[in-house]
Amino acid sequence: MTPRNIFIVILLHLSLSQSVVADTPKFTIEIKNHLFYPAEVIIPARKKVKLIIFNRDKTSEEFESYELNREKIIMGNRKGVVFIGPLEPGEYPFFGEFYPETALGKVIAR
Amino acid sequence: MILSSVIIVLGEVLEVAILISLFLALIFRFKISYAWLIESLIIGCMGAIFYASYFDTVSQWFDGFGQEVVNASIQLGIYICLVLFNTLIYISRHDQLITKYLQWIMALSIILAITREGAEIFLYISGFYSSELLMMPVITGSILGGSIGLSLGILIYYTFTNMADRTSLYIGYSLLLFVSAGMILQAVRLLIQIDWLPAQEIIWDVSDWLTESSVTGRLLYTLMGYEATPTLIEIQFYIAAILGVLLATGFSQYFISKKSSGH
Repeated sequence: MTPRNIFIVILLHLSLSQSVVADTPKFTIEIKNHLFYPAEVIIPARKKVKLIIFNRDKTSEEFESYELNREKIIMGNRKGVVFIGPLEPGEYPFFGEFYPETALGKVIAR
Repeated sequence: MILSSVIIVLGEVLEVAILISLFLALIFRFKISYAWLIESLIIGCMGAIFYASYFDTVSQWFDGFGQEVVNASIQLGIYICLVLFNTLIYISRHDQLITKYLQWIMALSIILAITREGAEIFLYISGFYSSELLMMPVITGSILGGSIGLSLGILIYYTFTNMADRTSLYIGYSLLLFVSAGMILQAVRLLIQIDWLPAQEIIWDVSDWLTESSVTGRLLYTLMGYEATPTLIEIQFYIAAILGVLLATGFSQYFISKKSSGH
């Protein structure tokens, strides 16, 4: 086993042990007519958060954010889950890549 | 609508176009045939249609994290192909069989890349299928975006093939190194997104200097996985990915020198 492999095994182990802790706060967003509801999601700063996105449209949408480093396609009438944070206090815009003119929102960490 | 279609399709096509043009530019120096390319493109497109049609099902796997797991596996698959490519390309001068393997490796990475990026394009366009009003601008924008991506790929290829042998190998090889690391970074980001890798606080923030949403930022993201706000684990994996490629190359160089000194 090379040092690099050992390193990766340690990292994987760390990640598994962290995932066991289950008190992650949950927040819900809906996509309707290519708009986000609510368009502003206020979450606690410096804490990992579970974001549940319901797509109520028939068409698929890609939840995307450069600031949050997230991208996920959510098919029509499906939900998608992404974890975000821990984030420093501030505003983190996100958008629907398939309908970027209307599907706009932001996460506000406080 | 046209502009956003151009941007989306350009982004996806560019990732594949850069990979293909780098491969072609590098094997041009080694006089390896391009015959595998057409088949790879066709199989890749079939893969993309297949992935897009089962995307809903795939997304449900792993408690709704199937999309991230499959995409991260695809990125990892391409990384492994690139490591093998780097290891074998220097040995290929001495061996016909290895040249054959190289063609398979390039074909596989291109099929994987098109399957992933193409599926996103299909999902995007299919959303407008029922809308007569938006279908035309979306198709027009997509064709424009695709053509720009393709042209950039061709431009990269001719820039490389017109350079001096040594320079083009040196730059092409360095670019491939960063493209490989970018693949791993994308996979790591997807695994953080689903909490399979730990979420951490960011180490530095250079988004004041260059945002990921800017044209340069997006181009650098495609080329080397540019990340304005990385976390420690992302940096660790990025460095590990680069070391992985360098070790593989070092090994192949050692192999060649041993082989030639043995004769």
